[in-house]
Amino acid sequence: MADTAAGPGGSGTRSGSKQSTNPADNYHLARRRTLQVVVSSLLTEAGFESAEKASVETLTEMLQSYISEIGRSAKSYCEHTARTQPTLSDIVVTLVEMGFNVDTLPAYAKRSQRMVITAPPVTNQPVTPKALTAGQNRPHPPHIPSHFPEFPDPHTYIKTPTYREPVSDYQVLREKAASQRRDVERALTRFMAKTGETQSLFKDDVSTFPLIAARPFTIPYLTALLPSELEIQQMEETDSSEQDEQTDTENIALHISTGDPGTEKENASVLQQNSLSGSRNGEESIIDNPYLRPVKKPKIRRKK
Amino acid sequence: MSPTGIESSRMNRKKGDKGFESPRPYKLTHQVVCINNINFQRKSVVGFVELTIFPTVANLNRIKLNSKQCRIYRVRINDLEAAFIYNDPTLEVCHNESKQRNLNYFSNAYAAAVSAVDPDAGNGELCIKVPSELWKHVDELKVLKIHINFSLDQPKGGLHFVVPSVEGSMAERGAHVFSCGYQNSTRFWFPCVDSYSELCTWKLEFTVDAAMVAVSNGDLVETVYTHDMRKKTFHYMLTIPTAASNISLAIGPFEVLVDPYMHEVTHFCLPQLLPLLKHTTSYLHEVFEFYEEILTCRYPYSCFKTVFIDEAYVEVAAYASMSIFSTNLLHSAMIIDETPLTRRCLAQALAQQFFGCFISRMSWSDEWVLKGISGYIYGLWMKKTFGVNEYRHWIKEELDKIVAYELKTGGVLLHPIFGGGKEKDNPASHLHFSIKHPHTLSWEYYTMFQCKAHLVMRLIENRISMEFMLQVFNKLLSLASTASSQKFQSHMWSQMLVSTYGFLKSISNVSGKDIQPLIKQWVDQSGVVKFYGSFAFNRKRNVLELEIKQDYTSPGTQKYVGPLKVTVQELDGSFNHTLQIEENSLKHDIPCHSKSRRNKKKKIPLMNGEEVDMDLSAMDADSPLLWIRIDPDMSVLRKVEFEQADFMWQYELRYERDVVAQQESILALEKFPTPASRLALTDILEQEQCFYRVRMSACFCLAKIANSMVSTWTGPPAMKSLFTRMFCCKTCPNIVKTNNFMSFQSYFLQKTMPVAMALLRDVHNLCPKEVLSFILDLIKYNDNRKNKFSDNYYRAEMIDALANSVTPAVSVNNEVRTLDNLNPDVRLILEEITRFLNMEKLLPSYRHTITVSCLRAIRVLQKNGHVPSDCSLFKSYAEYGHFVDIRIAALEAVVDYTKVDRSYEELQWLLNMIQTDPVPYVRHKILNMLTKNPPFTKNMDSPLCNEALVDQLWKLMNSGTAHDWRLRCGAVDLYFTLFGLSRPSCLPLPELGLVLNLKEKKAVLNPTIIPEAGPANQESASNPGCHAQLAGFQNPFASSQDEEEVDMDTVHDSQAFISHHLNMLERPSTPGLCKYRPSSSRSSLMPQHSLGSDIIPTTKPQWTMELSRKGIGKEQPMEMSMHSMGAVPLSVFAKESTSSRHSEHHHHHHHEHKKKKKKHKHKHKHKHKHDSKDKDKEPFTFSSPASGRSVRSPSLSD
Repeated sequence: MADTAAGPGGSGTRSGSKQSTNPADNYHLARRRTLQVVVSSLLTEAGFESAEKASVETLTEMLQSYISEIGRSAKSYCEHTARTQPTLSDIVVTLVEMGFNVDTLPAYAKRSQRMVITAPPVTNQPVTPKALTAGQNRPHPPHIPSHFPEFPDPHTYIKTPTYREPVSDYQVLREKAASQRRDVERALTRFMAKTGETQSLFKDDVSTFPLIAARPFTIPYLTALLPSELEIQQMEETDSSEQDEQTDTENIALHISTGDPGTEKENASVLQQNSLSGSRNGEESIIDNPYLRPVKKPKIRRKK
Repeated sequence: MSPTGIESSRMNRKKGDKGFESPRPYKLTHQVVCINNINFQRKSVVGFVELTIFPTVANLNRIKLNSKQCRIYRVRINDLEAAFIYNDPTLEVCHNESKQRNLNYFSNAYAAAVSAVDPDAGNGELCIKVPSELWKHVDELKVLKIHINFSLDQPKGGLHFVVPSVEGSMAERGAHVFSCGYQNSTRFWFPCVDSYSELCTWKLEFTVDAAMVAVSNGDLVETVYTHDMRKKTFHYMLTIPTAASNISLAIGPFEVLVDPYMHEVTHFCLPQLLPLLKHTTSYLHEVFEFYEEILTCRYPYSCFKTVFIDEAYVEVAAYASMSIFSTNLLHSAMIIDETPLTRRCLAQALAQQFFGCFISRMSWSDEWVLKGISGYIYGLWMKKTFGVNEYRHWIKEELDKIVAYELKTGGVLLHPIFGGGKEKDNPASHLHFSIKHPHTLSWEYYTMFQCKAHLVMRLIENRISMEFMLQVFNKLLSLASTASSQKFQSHMWSQMLVSTYGFLKSISNVSGKDIQPLIKQWVDQSGVVKFYGSFAFNRKRNVLELEIKQDYTSPGTQKYVGPLKVTVQELDGSFNHTLQIEENSLKHDIPCHSKSRRNKKKKIPLMNGEEVDMDLSAMDADSPLLWIRIDPDMSVLRKVEFEQADFMWQYELRYERDVVAQQESILALEKFPTPASRLALTDILEQEQCFYRVRMSACFCLAKIANSMVSTWTGPPAMKSLFTRMFCCKTCPNIVKTNNFMSFQSYFLQKTMPVAMALLRDVHNLCPKEVLSFILDLIKYNDNRKNKFSDNYYRAEMIDALANSVTPAVSVNNEVRTLDNLNPDVRLILEEITRFLNMEKLLPSYRHTITVSCLRAIRVLQKNGHVPSDCSLFKSYAEYGHFVDIRIAALEAVVDYTKVDRSYEELQWLLNMIQTDPVPYVRHKILNMLTKNPPFTKNMDSPLCNEALVDQLWKLMNSGTAHDWRLRCGAVDLYFTLFGLSRPSCLPLPELGLVLNLKEKKAVLNPTIIPEAGPANQESASNPGCHAQLAGFQNPFASSQDEEEVDMDTVHDSQAFISHHLNMLERPSTPGLCKYRPSSSRSSLMPQHSLGSDIIPTTKPQWTMELSRKGIGKEQPMEMSMHSMGAVPLSVFAKESTSSRHSEHHHHHHHEHKKKKKKHKHKHKHKHKHDSKDKDKEPFTFSSPASGRSVRSPSLSD
């Protein structure tokens, strides 16, 4: 059935795949037919007069598998020794590996009753279809040995990005940044207002201009005086970029007294004045300030 | 030096001036203060003091000390128990207050009370008896040690506790306590001699929680743990003799920062603020260096401490070797605007370390020397730090302030002399408070006093040169430092006290110049000079005829005689002329140097040597005068109103290099709205070399001119294109550049210009749409991401600009303001304000400047009728727990609301806050704002003005504010603003119209009801005051009359009516003995009447019936006529005293007559009646005529 179907028009046979129309497919079919001939001649040689099609198929299958295995295995051996072309010894080793006695081979080849099968018709080697030839394949760069596989078709790796022209217009950018920020701020504050207590300027309307209710702080000066995180972040950014204006004195002041702003902060609040002052004393041994001196232990006589 | 000058001055001054004579019969040498327990939870303090004194007289048996608030447990002298009496008359100034509700009376009583405990008069609240066992000891003038155990519980003044209500220990909560007060207030927290003139050495010990630091004066000798290791004791020694008033204390969980430049200087701040502290104080060493250099004197103390605390009483308080600052002065490197302000505070504090702390004063009248010198050297620091322009600008600003204040109030006297104690000599009779004591001074007066003091020091410098001036300071300091290192026994300590005499003497010694006239003019006498100048150019003689007039008759002015500098800029250059201002010479001829137009092509030389090209086409072709300046160096405390042509002002603005002149010409140009003025101002705005403050004020002037020229104005709105050119992108002019505030000058200009632009108005008197959208765009495109500075002040000013653009809403018949009829422009503004205000909650700005501006803007919208007037929003922001700037802004809005909406409720709310708010500064500020923007004034009729309010305020100043001098004086100021000096007009008249003067045996009109009582007060105002007051009476009557719809013809028109009354009153059986009397009882029962309020009490118709009936029938039952009297008395009085002198006279006569005859009888009768009524709980009670009290007066219930 496969034979008949091999025609160019045979489309219905194999689950409607397009393979049948393929030249590569024709090639494979031709090979397989040769194998069938081989199997049939071997059967004839063995004395069979006829064989069911199914058994011939099965045997063909087995033979094909065997040969394939030899090829695969031989390839492995060859690659194992860093070659691309298998040598005879590769085949021998393969056959040995597969449990075949190689020594019997010459005798078998020279047997008398063997039939000679004509070589399969030379079908044109199936050229891998060049589906998309987007330019020249790239040659190997000099550091890649030429035996390595060629680069794939350029279309698989060349990228031709497509995007809109970037907006470089200053005005639009500023406009965008401004409205974006405004929208974010608006949305955020509205959300806060919606989810919390609000105050309103109009008695009849509480939603148009919702004001987040004023909530007193326990320590109001902290929020009022300390720069917000955003500002600190900003300051760091701008500081790294342009430090020119910062006067020297300020820098010096910072360096001298920086010591350990972090630890200092924590310590001071956790009542370890003396340990703190001790550590500072170590750093700046010259400074003798009464507030940095360690706290004295009470004397027995002192009774205040 | 003229010896006579000094001689005469000596006559003027106290005898004691030569050397210091203590007012006390003993001398203090050393004091120990030990506070061994401080409880933050209960806000209490327990401790003791020990004073070491040497008697200076043999029979010393009583020792008077100062102490307020303290509970004194025990007093021992040399270990012997001593009896003591504690009496503080300032707690309640007037005891029988209800009779006299006039401020004159109060002020006198208050001055007397303060004087009764004044340490400078040798008095004190605490009087200790020396035990008889020690008398012999005392007679030998041997040392006494007074040991006093005391405690303080919830102090209301003197010591301020800040205890945030969060979780954690006191240290974790950031709880702290500090001493505070105005002038000598140390007696509030420990017993002492609370005088600036009583110096002694100190040992100070404070036992505090181990997590806390106690910062006090002098050297920290050691810190020792207590036995349980949970507390530690800070031991301080102050070996430099110091007055108790300069002792201070601050305890809290402070972070400690040793100054990296000066290790003896230590800075303290509250937890978490250390980075800010580092930045803020990084500058201080430069101030130190500056002062030490100019004074050629080392800083007198061995150490210096700065403490930054919350809820500060004042921003800067200087004490011996330490200063207490408001924590709100701390800032990071990103903040521009606060930086110079904070540095100024630091410099001020340090200047006071030398003069004020180290050098103290002999008496209150020498205060001006200290304030003057410290203010003056602070000014020198300003000049060095911020430049001459800033300095001159500041001097001008201070001068304008003091001039305005003196002209308003009638003068500030630097060196009050109280000879003989006669009231006539009272040097400050124009004021509603006594200037004899610092504690009776209005805070505003004191601020102005300091201002004038340093200006006068500058005048002295002008006279004797700065070099001599600094030599004098150096001399004072070196004398003091020599004295300070001496032992007490050397009697040198008084060298550390400065007196006016001593100061002047060393000026005369050092400089050899006689500055007596100057001192006499500015120090011994109050008032400023007011010049009016105009000129004419005499072409023939080529002479400038200058006319300078003075106004020395208005209050607050004085006559100036002496030299006056005039600078004339001519075509050939600038020439100084010194005119001699004499008694009668008004005209001065000044020869001109240049002929007009001669030197057309030449460059014109300026005062500073610069030569400039000018376009002279604008000037008068006949005159070579470009501009004229009177007193360019501000060497007189004066106000000058000078007339010159507009082009002269324009030249002056363009080419005069002195910023003061530029400022003056800007002010003058407001009156010349011409294109030329516009051009001159625009040019100044564009000129980068021009001082930024001048450019800023040019903005506002330009806005004013543009508004005056609105019909002829061409081109875009003023400043718009200028702003666009300076601050907007080249490619897209509607978008502002991303912020870059590296150049502060342009930063300030960028901030100010939109604010000024928003003041522009079009022909319809609306802010042009173009301007509003321009400002909205500025806000929209504001981008601070690339900026190294915070833009919070900039954004705040943008909101101010929005607020400035608001104009009154067009409203049709007072419709209610709703969202629907909101103007679309206002909607946009509101949108921005809402967003800003809400963003503040998420990303708060430094010092919440944006919230502050938003609150102000909302109030502006309310006031202009765009948003319903409502102060609940402000009230919520005014609550304790918000940042103080927010609170003040919110309170300002509430104060304004109270005024505009005449809300009694809000006024009560404010008054309540004055009494209960935990922050003294806020309480002070509310009073201050109410005084500045009063809900009503003494000449005004207001429903708010009623008896209950008078009572309330009276109580507040009489006893409610005894713990804070500043607050009490603030209450006095408010009372004065609301009611004036005499008895408040809303009060019912006192019972007795006439008082029998037993001494002189005649009856006189009750002094309490004489309008503007006392000849001493308000010379000119006496008559208008009287009328206004009466008008105040009439009005409520008129309105109630309208309401009542009674036929009042007979009542109104009414000689007849009055005589009716009088007849009736004369009837012996009538209880309304005095026609004035019933009003008190009645209107106190029914205040609505006197208020002219709309509410008609339900019982009213009945009375009106009676009223009309009474007009007719004489035969009324007693009760009836009483009732009627209640309803009409106002009319009676008003009519009577406005319409006819005659009837008044008549009256008196009647009274006199009646009084003499019936006095006893009536007294008896009424007493009786009174009692019975009380029993019956009849509402219509009234007091005995003799008692002179209103029944409802709270004093009775007390």
